[in-house]
Amino acid sequence: MNRHSDVVVVGGGVIGCSVAWSLSKRGLSVTLVDKSFPGRATSASAGGLWPIGESIGLGCGVIYHAAAGEESPGEHPEPLPSDFMNFLCESNNRFPSLSAELVRQTGLDIEAESGTGLLYLLFTEKDEKHADYLLDWVGINGARVSRLSQREALEKEPLLSPDLRGAIHFPGDNQVNPMYLAEALKRGACANGARFVSETEVTGLTLRNNSVKEVRTTRGSIACGALVNAAGAWSVRLARMAGLELAVYPVRGQIVCTHALKKTLHCNLSASHCYLLQKAHGEVLIGSTTERCEYDVGVRFEDLCALSAGAVRAVPALQEAGVKRTWAGLRPGTPDELPILGPVAQLGNYFNATGGFRTGIVAAPLTGEIVAAYVTEDALPFPAEPFLQSRFDDVNRDAPSSTGPREARTSAETPFAPSPLGHRRD
Amino acid sequence: MTKTDLLIVGGGPAGMSAATEAASHGVHCHLVDENPALGGQIYRQAGAADHHQTDRDDTLARKVERRDDRITILREASAVAVFDGRKVALSRKNSTELVDTDVLILASGAYEYVPPFPGWTLPGVMTPGSAQILAKTMGVSPGKRLLLSGSGPFLLAVASSLLKVDVEIVAILEASPRWPWVTLPFRAWKNLDKWKEGWQYVSELRNAGIRIRHGRIVVSANGDNDLTSVSHAAVDRDWHPDRSKVETEDVDTLCVGYGFVPRVFLAQLAGCELEYRSEIGGWIPRRNADMCTTVPNILSAGDGAGVAGVLVATLEGRLAGLVAARRLEAIGDAELTSLRRPIDAELKRLTPFRKALDRISRIRPGLNSLVDDETVVCRCEELRWKQVRESVAFGGTNFRTLKVQSRVGMGPCQGRFCWPAMARLVAEQSGCDPKDVGPSSPRPPIRPVTLGALAAGVGGES
Repeated sequence: MNRHSDVVVVGGGVIGCSVAWSLSKRGLSVTLVDKSFPGRATSASAGGLWPIGESIGLGCGVIYHAAAGEESPGEHPEPLPSDFMNFLCESNNRFPSLSAELVRQTGLDIEAESGTGLLYLLFTEKDEKHADYLLDWVGINGARVSRLSQREALEKEPLLSPDLRGAIHFPGDNQVNPMYLAEALKRGACANGARFVSETEVTGLTLRNNSVKEVRTTRGSIACGALVNAAGAWSVRLARMAGLELAVYPVRGQIVCTHALKKTLHCNLSASHCYLLQKAHGEVLIGSTTERCEYDVGVRFEDLCALSAGAVRAVPALQEAGVKRTWAGLRPGTPDELPILGPVAQLGNYFNATGGFRTGIVAAPLTGEIVAAYVTEDALPFPAEPFLQSRFDDVNRDAPSSTGPREARTSAETPFAPSPLGHRRD
Repeated sequence: MTKTDLLIVGGGPAGMSAATEAASHGVHCHLVDENPALGGQIYRQAGAADHHQTDRDDTLARKVERRDDRITILREASAVAVFDGRKVALSRKNSTELVDTDVLILASGAYEYVPPFPGWTLPGVMTPGSAQILAKTMGVSPGKRLLLSGSGPFLLAVASSLLKVDVEIVAILEASPRWPWVTLPFRAWKNLDKWKEGWQYVSELRNAGIRIRHGRIVVSANGDNDLTSVSHAAVDRDWHPDRSKVETEDVDTLCVGYGFVPRVFLAQLAGCELEYRSEIGGWIPRRNADMCTTVPNILSAGDGAGVAGVLVATLEGRLAGLVAARRLEAIGDAELTSLRRPIDAELKRLTPFRKALDRISRIRPGLNSLVDDETVVCRCEELRWKQVRESVAFGGTNFRTLKVQSRVGMGPCQGRFCWPAMARLVAEQSGCDPKDVGPSSPRPPIRPVTLGALAAGVGGES
């Protein structure tokens, strides 16, 4: 396989495919190297495009918070920085045109829906308090949301439990088919001339003069002008081959999927014990846990039961729905829940495209553009400095005991907060 | 959570033998089976409310039922998943619960291998096994005019069951050329009793005027909404059809099956290593001579560990029961050694017959040539070969990658039904061996469970 490529992208999940697509559109020769380890986040994603919902801690955030119970810090999950929300919204805005472009180019429909909207379901007084807080927060940040009474929520989603007290509606938070999104981006990249190398593992990197010269794989070596690390939960392993430490770790999410049902849900639903959404093929996806457990992609009986109970509580009619399968994926988590994108100081032609955590799907279009712009040294389509790996180095520099690069690396090996969800407030 | 010393999954010959053997040495066990009555596919009993006479051989089932002091039978229950080691999730009607077992014996049996061909999704096309269930447990005829096609002695057994209901069997098409008796090794003749059993079927069918045609396979099932006719052709040694020798037969029912595939899903969920042995059905759990898989205290016996028929399944079940008894310290090493000696000897005696039959009825590559671009290859998701073939070109080289790229195996069967044959097509397309394409990767639950039943499991762990 001894060939040269302008850029080698490692990782065939949604981020790697998006980066490969963006790079190939710019006319670069791209090789996308993939090894389908079980549990990649793209195939365990429900495909919610919830730029606002995710930024304020809905979806997995509230579920994790509720499950932590007494140990939860504070009354509710804290919103992420508003810069990040703007980043996700900007990326989300690209879906209508991206979808059209990919259909034209590849014939694949990524099933991007508009008008689905997200409902945050309020069942308790505590939920309502959280809702008040969120409405204040998003009000300040100018996002489009509205508070619904029980009656209004039931009009939107008739099968919701009558125990519901009300809901918050996020009309711009929709969904997509994450697998088709990745596949269409990959096929689009191939149509632009990129080469996809499947079931191939990177075994090492050849470094010279502070740059990556060659990517060694189980199927031979590829000489490269630049390397993009889009290996998701496994990106820390690739980074180590480059002598770098990344603040990325696998965060498991378990998910339950029903058999295809006739149209049951009209909105995406987020509650404190699960989130639910019905996909274009009719399945209802019920997610998801948030756990640190290394690379274990198994599922736990009690977690599946809890997710199912949460779903039945929110939508009692689902009681009789058959469960088709359950599985788990590993999200690439970071201490501050923000992605890690762009160059590093130590290697001139190495670029990160990782740390997508729970928002890799919605962030994929803009992530691809940003990383491609970094590689080609073009103007960035969005200010991405907050997402550089060096933000963690800055933390280390501030610490009085670690000044040299060696110390910085050592301290990065035990990355920061042990909690899977940082509770950083901007 | 229920606690048990020994949990046996599957109430066929292997599972029943394991239960009686272990119980006879004082072991208390739970035997789980999906059906209302024990017996598995081979000894399928008519439901209790059904008085239709069947050719039941229920002595094993009676033995199990008489041992109710030590064997707890869980009927109409499905083992749907295995969690951390040996915690098995059992699903019954509206509940799901975990059973924590010290030793687990998987005796899940096998299911039929059906390769795709044009028209195979038409109503009226079924597996021989499902036709046999209709005839044996309900006394119902699957149709008026019927053709049986495929390979292996099971076709003859099904035809024999169908003689008892009102259906005209047009012919039996056996893909293998006239059974090459003369090429059999001398050792295989030592199992004369097994050959006799086969011969009895043949003469019974011959007396009923049913033709067995060797060296022919079905190439297409025809009809607009329902099956109206079947086209079949002569094949060469590799089962490549000779399209100049096609005959068409008007029938309303077609039963197609080319042997069996071991049901290994629970073993996979339990983390047992698999190995590929195409001659005994494909992927099987890797085992040692004690029937032990690679996961401690999980054993596997019978057709689910490699298709070998009822005699072998019974012996393997007994051996697994003995080994389980040893693991639970109900018997000692010396006892195990002497008790297993006759079982091992009998298994060894059956080996030449098994090997000969494996060689005769192994799946040949010509079956792949029946598929054209428009043939549905994943029934649940109605995917045509053209779509899967394209996905292979984009790096879909195993079950997992094909699944996310094209929805192969995303339907209710999770690839159980279609994947064994599709794996051969994908292997041919990408120029590798079916073993490189790999098995399907089942996700729990491996049997349907309602969301409500799973929700009811909350707190079941404590």
